[in-house]
Amino acid sequence: MKFRNRSNLTKIQLDMTPMIDVVFQLIIFFMCTLKVSEPEGDFEISMPLGAPNAAAVSDAQLPPFKVRLQAGADGRLAALTFNGTNLGSGESAFAKLNSEVLRAVNALGAIGKEQQEKQEVEIDSDYNLNYRYIINAIGACSGRMQNGTTVRYISKIKFAPIRQQ
Amino acid sequence: MIDVVFQLITFFMLINKFEQAEADERVVLPKDQLAAPPLVHRQHSFLLNFGYLRDQKGVIIDPKPYFFFGDERAELASVRSRLRQESQYYKTTGTDLAEITVEIRADAEVPTGLVQELIQMCQEEGIEFQRFALKATQKATEY
Repeated sequence: MKFRNRSNLTKIQLDMTPMIDVVFQLIIFFMCTLKVSEPEGDFEISMPLGAPNAAAVSDAQLPPFKVRLQAGADGRLAALTFNGTNLGSGESAFAKLNSEVLRAVNALGAIGKEQQEKQEVEIDSDYNLNYRYIINAIGACSGRMQNGTTVRYISKIKFAPIRQQ
Repeated sequence: MIDVVFQLITFFMLINKFEQAEADERVVLPKDQLAAPPLVHRQHSFLLNFGYLRDQKGVIIDPKPYFFFGDERAELASVRSRLRQESQYYKTTGTDLAEITVEIRADAEVPTGLVQELIQMCQEEGIEFQRFALKATQKATEY
């Protein structure tokens, strides 16, 4: 049998250039399409049909907690009240709202856990109030963050009828 | 070098979010620490972007808020026909309207009354959506 002389074999050189080109094109594509955006979340609002106003029948046994937000002329928060108690305005008002809701939810615990779960919050806002305050109010009523986990207070949130300008 | 380059590709592929393509950058969302993404992916939902025209610095250049549908924009009154179309579409596909979530991406500075009017419009006869999700960005502050 005749063998080819191994010493005469030439080593095949793999050309990496096209692959590197493609890989760089991919990197450029991903870098260009990259969107640096803050993570988004949401709050679910349940507005069943046929219950557009506050007087509508609710499955909650007790009346809803009422959060009233009054607007200043520029759309900023002028006053925040919870069940008639004035909590002031600004960031601290939402912290107070959060603790007031917690207190109210804990008080409901004496009636029963079922009632705690059924309890609703009704957000009643002036027409021209900046929407950011509504989100802050919903957040303050929903719960709080503790060591990276969410402690949920109330999940049923609804809007009161629109207050016309 | 090739190893590093592949690592870079993997990194960019993982952090890229193609899902949020519908989100309009002109809308500056309100922030709240409890705004969390839904635990279960919503099967049926549609998004409404509601905000202001802003310049490159983010300053409002038109005091009137608009709904953004890609390159098009519309005022609140003219959104009714789109909502009706959307509702009709779900009805013809046999989807229960109670299963549809209307995701509202409203600007932090929009008057609340307009968002409430939008929700009311979504509940009108012939449209009849019932579930709403108010979008916000997550803020890492604690009470």
